[in-house]
Amino acid sequence: MSFNNMADPRRQNKILRYKPPSTDTNPTLEDPTPDYMNLLGMIFSMCGLMLKLKWCAWIAVYCSFISFANSRSSEDTKQMMSSFMLSISAVVMSYLQNPQPMSPPW
Amino acid sequence: MRRAHLLLISSLLLLLAFPLARGRYSDDDGEDIVDFDDNDFAEFEDMNDEQAAETETAPPPRASQTSKPEEDEDEDEATVELEDGQDGFEDSETQDQDMYRKYDQEEFEGFGDMEGPGHSMKDPLIIHTVPAHLQNSWESYYMEILMVTGLLAYIMNYIIGKNKNSRLAHAWFNSHRELLESNFALVGDDGTSKEAVSTGKLNQENEHIYNLWCSGRVCCEGMLIQLKFLKRQDLLNVLARMMRPVCDQVQIKVTLSDDDMDTFVFAVGTKKATAKLQKEMQDLSEFCGDKPKSGAKYGLPDSLAIVSEMGEVTDGVMDSKMVHYITNHADKIESIHFSDQFSGPKVMQEEGQPLKLPETKKSLLFTFNVPGMGNTSPKDMDSLLPLMNMVIYSIDKVKKLRLNREGKQKADRNRARVEENFLKQTHAQRQEAAQTRREEKKRAEKERIMNEEDPERQRRLEEAAQRRDQKKIEKKQMKMKQIKVKAM
Repeated sequence: MSFNNMADPRRQNKILRYKPPSTDTNPTLEDPTPDYMNLLGMIFSMCGLMLKLKWCAWIAVYCSFISFANSRSSEDTKQMMSSFMLSISAVVMSYLQNPQPMSPPW
Repeated sequence: MRRAHLLLISSLLLLLAFPLARGRYSDDDGEDIVDFDDNDFAEFEDMNDEQAAETETAPPPRASQTSKPEEDEDEDEATVELEDGQDGFEDSETQDQDMYRKYDQEEFEGFGDMEGPGHSMKDPLIIHTVPAHLQNSWESYYMEILMVTGLLAYIMNYIIGKNKNSRLAHAWFNSHRELLESNFALVGDDGTSKEAVSTGKLNQENEHIYNLWCSGRVCCEGMLIQLKFLKRQDLLNVLARMMRPVCDQVQIKVTLSDDDMDTFVFAVGTKKATAKLQKEMQDLSEFCGDKPKSGAKYGLPDSLAIVSEMGEVTDGVMDSKMVHYITNHADKIESIHFSDQFSGPKVMQEEGQPLKLPETKKSLLFTFNVPGMGNTSPKDMDSLLPLMNMVIYSIDKVKKLRLNREGKQKADRNRARVEENFLKQTHAQRQEAAQTRREEKKRAEKERIMNEEDPERQRRLEEAAQRRDQKKIEKKQMKMKQIKVKAM
């Protein structure tokens, strides 16, 4: 078995470890969607809470869902959960203060 | 005297009793009482005798039922009439109607309009609809139900999309696993484990991006494969894709060490992709001045274009086997980019030009489109296997490909030219930077001198600074003299 299989291209000594590409060098490759959606969700939920607008609160819930769906696995789950909880609380508070059903804009 | 006294007392009593009696009976009945009373109480009459006469015939049904028994008790005549009236009221309506017509219009307002027991009012009854929020029905909350349904649909799509992407990724890996494991010592690494052991599985970066790092081979340092699937887990993206169909992509980047590749820059791909690459990529824009040429010259399909540093490079890369590979799988190839000066896309900096040349790395980049245009099934992943074979072949080929002397000279000149250009462009900026640095130093020194409390030391430092400045001026003058002498 000392015969070295010349056809085998594998070289154990040439192994390099994987280095995740740093995002500082190419920020354009990063998808900004989850960050934007997170921010939008927070803004809408604050609007919904302060101005007692039900549709704002519902849009905030949608935004936080979209942000979660697009998020990277390396992102903090705490951030996701906090925005999600905030939007849910906005919806609940709007309905507690005003149990009327939402009226469509048309 | 006694008789008068009695009369007075009786009249007083009657006077007291009269309002009570009046309170119980209706006006009409009061008329009857009045008739029976003395004319002393005529002032309480508000109606004329005619009415009184009419009312005597029959009481209106408006008269409260409670007053009737009292009437019966007090007035016999009235009782008889009441009974008649009562019978008349109960037996026939026509009798009542006759009776009503006899009534004075002035006395009874709106009385004539009344017809029978089911009388209608002057103002019609308006039945208001109960506002939605006061109704306790689910139907009024239809907007909320819509919203919740939308959310549920989103969640369902998320789960389905995530699973589909996962299945596609694993199908790809299963079909390519053998080839990769026979070529690379390390297949699958996430960079976190202490020992360099093959994990044998994909890194999931996202719900739609999967990575695989392979290393440990001759002719290359490593290979990073990125499976960039569509965002099937995001419903918005799914809807957007219905408007504009996009493909799943497999991106492969092979990094080479310095002796694995000769100095050249080359790219081939779809016309759109090569045009975009030439505009965006730093190396292609600097080294490949010509517009993308049609691949038909080298036997490729017309849909593909070539961008190259020089013709020799294209001839060297496009050997028969490569042409064969590319022609057979032209529909799946988006772009192929070989470069020894690869530094990524052009970086837009705010200060104008970066002060340093960007770092370059010898790389081979491949972008493949997964067939199916979004509607891929796991079976389609097998069709990408020949492309991976092409990648392996390219790695070996690039190692062997060497430019001839002419080509090498040309390439070296190109690189020197690019570097010079870069230095020239940044010269002004570098000078400015050096100037600011010098000024900073001077300012710092001056501040130190000023802050020095001891006047003696201050004087000494000032003198030292003056001496230094003078020396610099002298040096400059010497240089100028030398240049003048040389020029002469």
